[in-house]
Amino acid sequence: MRNAYDAIVIGAGHNGLTLGAYLARSGLEVLVLERRHEEGGGLCTEELTLAGFLHNVHANYHTFVDLAPPVHDLDVRGHGVEYVRPEVQMASIYDDGTALTIHTDLDKTCASIARFSEQDADTFRRLYSEAHGYVDLLLGTLMYQPPMSVKELTKALATFGVEDRSEFLSVKLRRETINQFLDQHFTNDKVKAHLAFHGAVCAYTNDVPGLAIGFPLLIGKIDNWHLCIGGSHRLAHALWRDLAQHGGVMISDADVRSIVVDRGRAVGVRLVDGTEISARKLVASTVSVEQTFLEFLEPSAVPEELHSRVKNDVKHKDWSLFSVHLAMTALPAYVAAEFDPDVDRAWVVNLGYGSLEELNADFAAVRAGRLPDPKPNAAVNSLYDPTDAPPGCATGLLRQFAPFAIAGGGEGEWESMGRWYGHRCIDAWRKYAPNLTDDVILDWVPYTPLEIAQKLPNMVRGDWMMGEVSLANMLDQRPLPELGQYRTPVEALYMAGSTQHPHGFITFGPAYNALQVIADDLALDAWWRQV
Amino acid sequence: MADIYSTAWYEGVRDAMNARVATMTDLPKGVLHIKVEIYGDGISPYIEEDVERNFLIRIADGHCDWYREVDGDDTSVKLDYRFRGPATIFDEIAAGLQDPIDAALHGTVKVRGDMRFLMRQAEHVSVLLDAYAHGVQTTWPLGRPPYAAEHKEALGA
Repeated sequence: MRNAYDAIVIGAGHNGLTLGAYLARSGLEVLVLERRHEEGGGLCTEELTLAGFLHNVHANYHTFVDLAPPVHDLDVRGHGVEYVRPEVQMASIYDDGTALTIHTDLDKTCASIARFSEQDADTFRRLYSEAHGYVDLLLGTLMYQPPMSVKELTKALATFGVEDRSEFLSVKLRRETINQFLDQHFTNDKVKAHLAFHGAVCAYTNDVPGLAIGFPLLIGKIDNWHLCIGGSHRLAHALWRDLAQHGGVMISDADVRSIVVDRGRAVGVRLVDGTEISARKLVASTVSVEQTFLEFLEPSAVPEELHSRVKNDVKHKDWSLFSVHLAMTALPAYVAAEFDPDVDRAWVVNLGYGSLEELNADFAAVRAGRLPDPKPNAAVNSLYDPTDAPPGCATGLLRQFAPFAIAGGGEGEWESMGRWYGHRCIDAWRKYAPNLTDDVILDWVPYTPLEIAQKLPNMVRGDWMMGEVSLANMLDQRPLPELGQYRTPVEALYMAGSTQHPHGFITFGPAYNALQVIADDLALDAWWRQV
Repeated sequence: MADIYSTAWYEGVRDAMNARVATMTDLPKGVLHIKVEIYGDGISPYIEEDVERNFLIRIADGHCDWYREVDGDDTSVKLDYRFRGPATIFDEIAAGLQDPIDAALHGTVKVRGDMRFLMRQAEHVSVLLDAYAHGVQTTWPLGRPPYAAEHKEALGA
């Protein structure tokens, strides 16, 4: 490791690696520092249960493949990433044995919805078709550009008369919840529950005012869920390869203690082991705002008001995820396959939410710190990735909406409750797939919200989106208005992680957008802006 | 009156754009190059199937300097926007039958470039698009859209 680079990026998650790779391709000498023993952040795949069983500990669903510019610009496929887009993307199985399936084939999806409501199937087709048409336009406008304000967007949409052209782009959606949107457009409880579940899995909680504005976009890419063959970590590895191929360096086990500031400008970092590395042009942080401004920077380097706002005003998600990772000798065989055989091929399955009220009640319980009766969602990657388990075996991933801190005991309660709650989640799965008996399940491990925060401290309080997903914390308001354009009050210090617009998930957006700002500031030749 | 896709028509569009922006204030500063790629779709009689015609528009300080047909990409020109779509859709836009915003929203015309700038200049963009769609008295020597309904169905329009 040299003692000076042009750019130092803190955090080798997908955003850190993405930014590093672009900058390296732009001719800068880049160093990416990672606290953990490996690159990837949320792109973490481990043999959590038994040897040969690959479990995606955090990111499992890649929904922006071929929509996010870095996938092409950084040639992740050329670096070995192989994606599969499961034919049966998602399903809901209801308590009465019926099931709804979302396919990559729109006709099949609509046929499945029509079994519950022909009217809803027609509405879905109309909504999907409209949203699918403008998804790349909206993504280009909203996700892969430094953010505009809601006011600016509203004005532009009004000038273009968009509201008159699509009921699904109505400005009034910014005041509504996804529940309201669904109630206005759909009739069947189960259909509504499935669509709300899909939003919730993407962190767009169905009862949060304002999130209806993003819902048509979610529908536009509802069938774009991809699985990274061999585990999500493969993507991290590909990004690292791209970085390295262009002269960038990633160093793991490099725990940053502080960002060095000289006369108001970020000029380097100091590691916990005392090593000091200079940054000639910039330092970019892809970790949390709390780490960046409260831990890495001396209070004197941060305006007092910002310091206080980072401490008190940064908004985090009010629910987290409890996971169970399983090693199995069989695929789930759902009872509901009698109703719809395709559920047995569904990659991700919602187990039991049959109405918006049920989702509302569980989110209310979770916000109060209570553990709901599990209605987990189950992902079986082995259905579409034969490499993720030994022959004849399969992995399973259960995820349950859960609180970070448990009422009465706080987050520490998870240490004693993880296995108990994991059992309950498995029992809930068995209710729908009775073949998953004890002898089929070779091993399983719980992964609690507390462990999320411990493993990845940037996911503060188990906040896997690194910031609340709400209208108040969107666009240029995320994570705080004064940090909403990737620059910070410290000259040459940028924020480029999922704390920034658009949000967490494997979007590449924060890094890509921060890159635009950095390119403007450093007058880089923006080779990636090919139109 | 000018034949569609003729020099006189391009000049007509340019003049219509400039007439419309003449009274506007807060026009965007700087130069923009916009490429329009129109490909034959087997329906429009003006561009043969599998043939592509390319047009380049230069906007300077909000006014249209020129609008001309070009061969492919000119590497000496740095493009700011690229609009791409089938001939029938562009014919219909020029005939005032198809709304260009609708075409973009529904993905029949693909737009690439800095969308934030485009959104911030919504008023100016709307005026330019209106000039394209309604600003020129167009003649259609090979027939005027709308073309036969079954053809449109094939386009998914």
